[in-house]
Amino acid sequence: MRLRPGTWPVTVRVAVATAVLMVLLGLAASQQVLATLGRLQDARLQEYARLHVEGLAVALGPFALHRDVWEVYDTLDRARTNASGERILFTVVADDRGLVLAATHPERAPVDTAIDAFAAEAMPVGEVTAAHGRSVVRVMAPLFVQGRDVGRIVTELDVSDLVAQRRTAALALLAGNALATLILVLAGYFVMARMLKPVELLAHHMGEAGGTPHPIPERAIPRSDSVLARLLRNFNAMAGAIDARAEAERRLAERERFVSLGRLSSSLAHEINNPLGGLLNATDTIRSYADRPEVVRQSAELIDRGLRHLRDVSRVILEENRIDRSGRALSRADFEDLRLLFEPETTRRGQRLYWRIDGGEAAFGGHPSAPVRQIALNLLLNASSAAPEGGSVALGVRTERGWLRLAVADDGPGLSGAARARLMSEAPLEPGGGVGLRLVRDLVAMLGGRVDCTRADCRTEIIVRIPAGGQPPC
Amino acid sequence: MNRRRFLAGSAASAGIGLPALARVAEPFRLGLTPVFLDNDAVVIERLRSALSQALGEPVDLIQRRTYQEITASLLDGSVDAAWICGYPFLQHGDSLSLLGVPVWRGRPLYQSYLIVRHDDAALRLEDLRGDVHAFSDPDSNSGYLVTASDIARLGETPERFFSRSIFTYGHRNVVRAVAGGLTRSGSVDGYVWETLARVEPSLTERTRVVTQSEWLGFPPFAARADRATDPLVRQFGAALRGLDASAAGRDALRQLFLDRVQHGDPGLFDGIAARMAEVPRR
Repeated sequence: MRLRPGTWPVTVRVAVATAVLMVLLGLAASQQVLATLGRLQDARLQEYARLHVEGLAVALGPFALHRDVWEVYDTLDRARTNASGERILFTVVADDRGLVLAATHPERAPVDTAIDAFAAEAMPVGEVTAAHGRSVVRVMAPLFVQGRDVGRIVTELDVSDLVAQRRTAALALLAGNALATLILVLAGYFVMARMLKPVELLAHHMGEAGGTPHPIPERAIPRSDSVLARLLRNFNAMAGAIDARAEAERRLAERERFVSLGRLSSSLAHEINNPLGGLLNATDTIRSYADRPEVVRQSAELIDRGLRHLRDVSRVILEENRIDRSGRALSRADFEDLRLLFEPETTRRGQRLYWRIDGGEAAFGGHPSAPVRQIALNLLLNASSAAPEGGSVALGVRTERGWLRLAVADDGPGLSGAARARLMSEAPLEPGGGVGLRLVRDLVAMLGGRVDCTRADCRTEIIVRIPAGGQPPC
Repeated sequence: MNRRRFLAGSAASAGIGLPALARVAEPFRLGLTPVFLDNDAVVIERLRSALSQALGEPVDLIQRRTYQEITASLLDGSVDAAWICGYPFLQHGDSLSLLGVPVWRGRPLYQSYLIVRHDDAALRLEDLRGDVHAFSDPDSNSGYLVTASDIARLGETPERFFSRSIFTYGHRNVVRAVAGGLTRSGSVDGYVWETLARVEPSLTERTRVVTQSEWLGFPPFAARADRATDPLVRQFGAALRGLDASAAGRDALRQLFLDRVQHGDPGLFDGIAARMAEVPRR
């Protein structure tokens, strides 16, 4: 989910964090600048309004007192004509009853009309501000003559230039902040990308896609940063150790096959030795009764059967011992071979062997021969060891919806904790323990299968399920 | 009170013989009312210069805000002569003597105009009832008396006829008040309005003449009757009437859009007297 920030590359996350912080900083700084500008503008505006209104108030006071319409108008008109700039848009003066005496634009405020409409939104001089964004503000002040309230004056001031100035400043700040943020984000991105390059290198060599870690070439290790160089070299050492461990495990697994044969060697020796006695007797018989053809023929047949058996045993041992069997498909013959190899072991220990293989060549053909044979043999050897003298061991093989199902059962005391850990978990191997069950687990995992272990009615059953083609069906 | 006023006041109170000695070094003082284009300093200076040249004595032009102030100054001797309106001339006819009457467009006559804004639909005085009206001066014939007498003929008074009437104390101010929308209508000197139409058309273009009065006597130059025989006053009267004889005088008259100043006949103001009779005395 690339929308989740936690999945973004560190360099991008740092750049985005820089941008967010810069935007927040820019907002705070811009707010301060605009607030200061606003205060300065308002102070200037209030000073201007004070000068204008107070100047007019002094001049108009006596005229308002006498309600001299013409003099009020004449004064306003001359003040408007002589005013510098265009800030004063409109001024109206009312008497103490609130009735208009005169205005700079009489059509807007005719004589003797109420001034209330203009006074309603007007602010006192000391509170006038351009902060609300309107281009026109109204200012109101009382007219006093010798302490007597004789009327009111309301003036409309054009503050569009101040509003525009504030808007321009805001836009300039926005553009400046955006540019600064962009520059800092890009700079932050490149700096962080450069700083984090060794980390990305490390992540890449650690096997990002589930692969195994592999060492970082010496030339790629930065010389300028001793801490990072030490970190990367430590990683290389770790990667080497992991490789060495994997190699050791591989060699151990390879050796396990010989171990299996070693464990079977005494039984197989009996299997070879037992017919040998019969064969030698047959040769003595032939030698003694060479003139009796029927005895010679019977002895020869006996020798033939014995030699054929020895040939089969030898072939199975050779087949099991052969290094490269990869690529060959599983067949029923593989299970017959296994039986030939394993059955003497149960015979030696007086155990009963139950052997049931369901399914034809076509059903087994989708599975590789070597790992399945190794899995079955290791489990059978483990079961035979676990089962008591005179006990029983069973193998059942069948296919279920494309999966190959191997079930190996025994009536032994059950898997010990250590054995269960070797078969069912990735826990490190404890010294002294065998690697047969761990090899079963690794092979099953390699084929995409799974291992289950159950114990019921004093029987332990280990069930292995392997998908066709070594991949689990969808 | 400055020195000049003190001397003038002393002269007025002490009789006629003595002031002749006291005035030897004094300039001749001519009072001007707002009937004149008082906003144009160039015109005033040309007139002062032309009169000084014609009189052979320095002439001071004294301006006051209201007709009443100038009339009072004339009566109390603060000024030696004044260009006043026919209305105050008649009000104080017994105390004043004519020195001359300006001739405008060939006649010593002018009219009073009733004006409104250029976009106003009013066609007559009655259409302006209930609105705000601008008068020039309560002692002005064209700027008050004519409209007041017209309203009197309707059986009304200005105070009742209009919702409010104001005095602007200047004919140009009346035009400003109407053009700017302060008042709906105004009473203005026709001579001033026509002159403004030449020199400041942007102002008069925003107004429209609704009605014009009959021709009435042009505002005259006058002196106090008891000093009419004073040589300096007589010389000043002659200088006024001879302005058109000198280049400076003609230039000043041209600036004023006047032809000349001629002898005045009190009968010229009978029309004003008739209107005065129609208006209750205030």
